[in-house]
Order: sequence, then C-alpha cells, then structure tokens
Amino acid sequence: MNKLKEIFGQIVKFFKFAYRKRRRIERVLGQLVIYALLITISYVFLFPLIKMVSLAFMAQGDLIDPEIDYLPKNPTLANFKAALIVLEGFKSFWGSFWVSSVYAIAQTVVSAITGFAFARYRFRGKNFLFLLIIVSFVLPVPVMLIPRMMMFQTVQSWGVQNISMEFRLFGTIIPQFLMSILGQGVNSAILILIFYNFFKMIPNVLYEAARIDGASPLAQFWHITIKISVSTIIVVFLFSFVWNWNETYVTGVFNGSFQSLPSKLAAFETDFRSAAPDGASTGGVNRVNEAYRMAATLISMIPLFIIYFAAQKQFIEGIESTGITGE
Amino acid sequence: MSVKSDRKLMKQLQRGNNQSLVAYLFLLPWLIGLVLFTVGPFLVTFYLSFNIVDEGGLGYVLTNVGFENYVKALLENIAFRENLISFVLVEITYVPAIVIFSFILAILLNRKIKFRSGFRTIFFLPVIVLSSTVMEQLMSAGGTRLSDFRDNIIFKTTMQYSIQFSRALLSLFDNFTMVLWFTGIPIILFINGLQKINSQLYEAAKIDGATTWQTLWKITVPIIKPTALIVAIFTIVQIGMYNINPLYYQIRDSIYNPAGGLGIASAFSWIYTIVVLIFVAAALLLLNSRDKSKEIKLTSIQRRAFEQLKARRDATLEEVTDVE
Repeated sequence: MNKLKEIFGQIVKFFKFAYRKRRRIERVLGQLVIYALLITISYVFLFPLIKMVSLAFMAQGDLIDPEIDYLPKNPTLANFKAALIVLEGFKSFWGSFWVSSVYAIAQTVVSAITGFAFARYRFRGKNFLFLLIIVSFVLPVPVMLIPRMMMFQTVQSWGVQNISMEFRLFGTIIPQFLMSILGQGVNSAILILIFYNFFKMIPNVLYEAARIDGASPLAQFWHITIKISVSTIIVVFLFSFVWNWNETYVTGVFNGSFQSLPSKLAAFETDFRSAAPDGASTGGVNRVNEAYRMAATLISMIPLFIIYFAAQKQFIEGIESTGITGE
Repeated sequence: MSVKSDRKLMKQLQRGNNQSLVAYLFLLPWLIGLVLFTVGPFLVTFYLSFNIVDEGGLGYVLTNVGFENYVKALLENIAFRENLISFVLVEITYVPAIVIFSFILAILLNRKIKFRSGFRTIFFLPVIVLSSTVMEQLMSAGGTRLSDFRDNIIFKTTMQYSIQFSRALLSLFDNFTMVLWFTGIPIILFINGLQKINSQLYEAAKIDGATTWQTLWKITVPIIKPTALIVAIFTIVQIGMYNINPLYYQIRDSIYNPAGGLGIASAFSWIYTIVVLIFVAAALLLLNSRDKSKEIKLTSIQRRAFEQLKARRDATLEEVTDVE
C-alpha cells in the first residue's frame, strides 16, 4: 500500500515537473515532430532517385535476389558501360548541350529585352500586354502546335520549290530557335517575369542621369541594366538551359530526328534490343533491363545534377524573385 | 511664361510618346513571336477545328465540316474520351493535393530550423532534374510506389461507389512521390508569401491568447490566398505537361494520324484547352480575394491585432512626447 502511494507520488511529481517545464517540452517535442516530418518527406522525395542509384549498380544476380533491397551485393559498373554505348552517351550529350545552349541564349536575350521594356517604360496597352504574358503561360502548347507546324511546313515546301531542293526547316534547330528568339520558347513567360522583377528594382535615378548625359535607350539598357544584372542573367540562362534540355514534346514535332540525351533515354529499350539482340532472348527481360535502364537514366541526369548543385542557391532565389506572389 | 510652360508641356508630351515608341521597339521581337507563334496559332487552331485539312501542293486545303470534328472527338473516339476523363481526374486529385502539401511544407520550412537550406535543396531538386522521360523511366521501374494501397479498407469502399474516382485516387497514392515532385516551385512561392506577412500580427494575436491553430486559419490563410491562387494556376498548367497526362501525347500523335488529320487534332487540342481554362477559372473563383481586399474586411483576430498595434503605437507616441 505504501509502495503504491510512493509510486503514485512519483508520478504526480513527474507530471508537476512536466507541467512546470511544459513550454520547453512542447517546444522540443514540436521541433522533433517537424524534423521527423521533414526527414520522412525528404525520404519520399528522394525515394525514386535512391532506388534508381541502387538499381543502376546491381548485377543480374542482385536484381533477382529477393534479399537485396537497396545495397547490391556485387556492385558493378557494367550497366553504365552498356548504357553509355546504347545512349551513344558522349555524342548525344554534346548534341543536347549545344542545342540547349543556343536556345537558352536566344531565350535569355529576348526575355531581358522584354522584361526591360516592361520594367522601365510606361506605354499604352502595358497592362494588356502584361496580361498576355500570363495568358501565353496558361495556354497549353498543343493548341499552338498545329498551326506552327503548318507554317513551317508551308515555308519549307515553298523553299524547296524556289530556293533549293535541300532547303529544310524540319529536322533543324531553326523552328525552335525562332520560337525561342521571339520569346515563345519553353516557359518564356517565367523568364520574362524574373527579369521584369529584377529590373524594376533598379532605381530610376540611374537612368535619368544617363539620359541627361545623352545616353540612348539602347546604351542605357546595355551600360546600366545589363551590367547590374549579371547574376540574374546567369539564373535565367540556367533555367532556360535546363528546361530546354528536358524538353522533348515540341522537339519531337520539329526536330524529331535530333538525338538529345532525353530522347535517347525515351528510346532506350528499343535501342537496347537492337544493339544487343541476344540480351533480350536470354529470358528475364524486364528485370534484367531495369538495371540498364536506371543506369541510363542516371547518366542522363548527371549533367543536370552538376548544374543544380553548382547553382542551387541561384535557382531558388531566381524563383523567389519572380515576385508573382506579391503583385 | 505661358510660352515657357507650353514648351515644357510639349517636351513632356514628346518624351511620353518617345517612351512608348522606345518601349515598343524593345518589345518588338516578343510581340512578333506572340502574334506569330501564340495568339495567331491559338485562333487558327480554332478555325481549323471546324475543317478537314488536306495537304495541297503548296499549303493546305480546307473543307468546312461544321461540328463534325468535335462530334467525332467526343462521341466516337473512345481513347480521347478516356484520356480526357483521366486528365480531369488527375487535375482534380493532384492540384488540391499539391497546393495543400506545398503550403504545409512551406510552413514547416519557414520556421527557424537547422538544415533549412538543405531541405529546400532537396525539395527543389525535381524542378531541375526531372523531365517527362526521366519520370517515365522511374515510374516504370517502380520507383514512385512506396507501398501498396489496393488492400486498404477505405480504398475498397470508395471502389464500390466510383471506379473512375478510385482509380484516380489510386494513381495519386501510387505516385505519391510525383505529387511531391510538383511542389518544388510552389513551396518557394509559398515561403516567399509567408515571409511577407507582418510578424507583429502574430505577436499581437499571441498576446490575445490565440492558439497556433487559430492564427493559422485567421491570419495566415487569408493573407496567403493570392499566393495559393498563383500556385494553383501554375500547378494546373504544369501537371498537363508531364506524362501523367495521356492526353498531351495523344494530341501530338494525332497530328501524324492520317485517318483523323489535322482538323481532328485541332478539335482535340481545343477541347483540351477549354478544359484547362475551366480549371483555371475554377481556381480563380475559389481562391480570388481581390474584391474583398479592396474594402479590407478583417477577421476578428486580425482586427483586434490591429487595434492593439494602434494602441501600442499611441502609447509610444505619448511616451515620446512626454520625454520631450
């Protein structure tokens, strides 16, 4: 009986203690819950990538082994070797790289000019045109695709008849380059908004001073705006580069034969079968292919990983500065 | 004097005109692109959707057929109808999930915690590294499925009411990672919005004894609504562009389908566009608070918080005058 009382006393004491320190306990518990949540969610975020990496290193035996979840018993690089051959890794990497760069430069230039006009000047119809930027973002690409295609088709057949038999638009980078340089490339609206919001922060006094000194608008744009905003230009270029890199939808219509890294990845299975015909006939097709496929996926993502980890801060700040949240 | 002021006025006017001209010169490339590649094609597609389009020697031959393409698309093409329904269901299930999840994650990340930028880096990663093709590969390798919900009792009950809806739910849970992948940019937008909220509002509410839950609903949510609207529209647009939306690729492939031709493809893409616009309009209706904010209607907690702020300001003002 006494003992029971003692225990009871202890419990009461504990609760009194807990009650006195409740604020602190609450805070610590709250923190713990937040960390637990964030870590769990991060795990879910990264789960496919973790799985991709672990599968990419698995040898055939490991794939079938039910005991192995993540860590392969006999890690191998053979998958990467095969994937590189099937993807034609270096060739398609280089193709993706320079084409994305060209589009990205075009998009950056036109977005900067457009953003500058919206940020610096007041003119008739400004609000309406600004609304059109948003509209051009909301309208889905398929609804523009058919007339765009017909337009280039018409010009191409006109060119074949009148200029040269070799005249081609499809299968070259010209159509998409034109769209990019005229501000209708991948997510152009977002790029314009990033520039617009950065340029708006440049004090007007600078321009006034330059104007009094006789600088033309173009000189103002070059010597003030561009030279101040080098970091923003890099952010926009990187975003544009990455989005163009990942783009396969429009490319499929205008430049279907172009072998970018993502398009090679999309065709990986068929390419793999034709490259290694007996690989498929040895049985266990899907399971065996998985490791190769994940190795190929990993290879195609490596350039983007490198860009992201080199410039992740800039990417996040770039989206923050679109400022579309406030206005 | 009047001459002088007149001249000044003239100069100003000139400058004004000049400004417009310069602005339009800077806008010229974008404007040409807008007309040539966006607004123009948008309208042309509408016109094409009422025609049968045949390739002529140079250019195209159109034959008007009225609503036939639409009838074909909606009533005869089973694949299109199914894809349309699944697109609608994907939007209905994914968009609210993405908006809510990114809001919750933004609130968690907006606290003072360690490794904050590390978490942000992880959550933003998909924006950069994921494309449709990569997503497809990862999905087919089973990388997006964490656990199986098919045997879940709740799922089985919804199954009995609507197979379509339960299928959409299943895809939501099966590809739960995908929902998270779309939260990259929304999280940043929400954090940005949260940081603009005046922290004194929270302090005042706390002094009044409002619980965290109350401040969330009475202060944070009303202020964050415009951000939520932008996030919702952004998400509606983005989701359409990945391979969880079968319609997107069906439209592109239908361009090359000789049986239907470009007319039917145009009808497909117009129907698709209208559905997207309906979703955008729905988001505007649900989340727009612009009209209300003009007359500044405050929730009770906000009002009390403002009163307190005012009182505090008056008190400090009095102190200052006293000292003087």
